[in-house]
Amino acid sequence: MTPGSPEAVIALSGVHAGYGSTRVLHDFSLTVHRGELVGVVGPNGSGKTTLLKVLLGLVEPTGGRVEILGRTISGGRETGRRTRRMNGSLRRRLARRERARVRRTIGYLPQLQAPPALPITVDEAVLLGRWGRYSWLRRPDSEDRRIAAECVEMVGMAELARRDLKTLSGGQRQRTSLARALARRPEMLLMDEPTTYLDKSAKADLMVRIIDLHELLGITTIMVTHEEVPGRDFDRVLRMEEGYLL
Amino acid sequence: MSDIIAALSIPVIRHAFLGMLIAGGTLSLLGVVIVSLHLTAIRFTLMHIGLLGAAAGMSLGFAPGPGAFTLVLVASVVMGVTGKRFSISASSVMGLFMTGSLAAAFLLLAIAGVPAMDVFGVFAGNILLMTRLDLIFVAVLGAAVITVFAVAYREIELVLLDEELARALGVPVDLVTAGLFVLVGAGVAAALRLVGALLVDAIILLPGIAALRFARGFGSALLLSALFGLIACVGGFFGALVFDLPIGASAAAASTLVLALSVLLSRLKN
Ligand SMILES: Nc1ncnc2c1ncn2[C@@H]1O[C@H](COP(=O)(O)OP(=O)(O)OP(=O)(O)O)[C@@H](O)[C@H]1O
Ligand SMILES: [Mg+2]
Repeated sequence: MTPGSPEAVIALSGVHAGYGSTRVLHDFSLTVHRGELVGVVGPNGSGKTTLLKVLLGLVEPTGGRVEILGRTISGGRETGRRTRRMNGSLRRRLARRERARVRRTIGYLPQLQAPPALPITVDEAVLLGRWGRYSWLRRPDSEDRRIAAECVEMVGMAELARRDLKTLSGGQRQRTSLARALARRPEMLLMDEPTTYLDKSAKADLMVRIIDLHELLGITTIMVTHEEVPGRDFDRVLRMEEGYLL
Repeated sequence: MSDIIAALSIPVIRHAFLGMLIAGGTLSLLGVVIVSLHLTAIRFTLMHIGLLGAAAGMSLGFAPGPGAFTLVLVASVVMGVTGKRFSISASSVMGLFMTGSLAAAFLLLAIAGVPAMDVFGVFAGNILLMTRLDLIFVAVLGAAVITVFAVAYREIELVLLDEELARALGVPVDLVTAGLFVLVGAGVAAALRLVGALLVDAIILLPGIAALRFARGFGSALLLSALFGLIACVGGFFGALVFDLPIGASAAAASTLVLALSVLLSRLKN
């Protein structure tokens, strides 16, 4: 980082990724700076979800380099073939540790799904976003619960906090999901089609909330979607198609 | 009443009572896992594998019970280790396993010259044949179930709710799923011993289904399934003593009753 330039939170360079023999992302390079709100628009199957999974460390790229908050979660320094091979396993171990660290700093909104079979209330669902601060024998403490309640409030779900997810509309479940992502107190938010499947007014409502919260909290955000996004509210809107950034 | 106390002083009956008590209060928790992870096909397959185990045991000249028990336990460990691949292709692979293990069972029996119908003993189970070792196994398994749920409460909750999200948060999903698979398998094996293959569901599935109709969250789902499991197993046990019925069948009837009542009540509530 050179003095005066905004800090790069996400830096992908020449990333190739896919599932087994299915290649999805090709030579993908993208830099996102701290505080940016970036939209990534592309048709179904263009690799948007895969891009987010690469950032989350859930899909391991076959080539290129992924850096998040200055940590290399995939692909290391390219210092010639020999050293690369010699340090392969060590580098992979390091990358795994870095991925675990990075995940603690990411708030993730998965694509909207059917509500789970297991009953869960809004406030408990949001509390789960703090997993990592508590885990195994360490239970969520009052601080975790306070932050969760604050985030429920922030997305306007306070009145519905004790309701079961199954009894909520898609828009309300997406707001819960947003609160859960925020409860992580994340350095960045990754949103996968947050407004898809919502009706027109719920879509508009959520979009306004996302934009307002971004304004308020300044969290670096990538939102991927196959629909148009309101370009003037976003710092950048990128387009991708068939795994290529246009 | 004094009859019941007298009955409980007989070691065999006391073992049976303790077995049902522990299983009812602990193995019933697995029902919540089975429903949430859609493992109903897997537990059905395990019952078929149990039949193969029984056949193998008998062909080798042992009793069918321990054979069934051992093979189900082995299968569940294998399942836990291979983990995900198993659950993904569930229904297609399961069909293969079910018919395959049945075919293998009958072939084995034919070759060994054992009358095929004897193997159906494992379907009925006989809790009064339960040995001290069986009881210890049920107790250890019960303790393991409680411990796992206590230690990994939030992790299990996350995996049951949304595996993808759990992964993204950093939960070791494969480890948790493997552990749950092994517990479910061992639970089926234990229930097989207690009430027989056909009534495994009475202990490890029905209380969970009933609990999920009322539960407000993961915690209350677990508590309620333990409660319903206890009612079914202990109630079934005493029902069997009072009305002179087989314990397995009586517990299964009690469990069915609990589920039927819960369906009725939750209908009324809405
Ligand atoms: N788990 C997987 N295994 C194999 N192929 C996959 C997997 N997930 C996605 N793909 C393939 O990768 C490609 C990109 O998928 P991806 O989910 O990234 O697209 P997307 O842009 O998010 O699409 P959508 O708008 O439908 O959500 C698709 O062709 C898809 O079939
Ligand atoms: Mg997608």
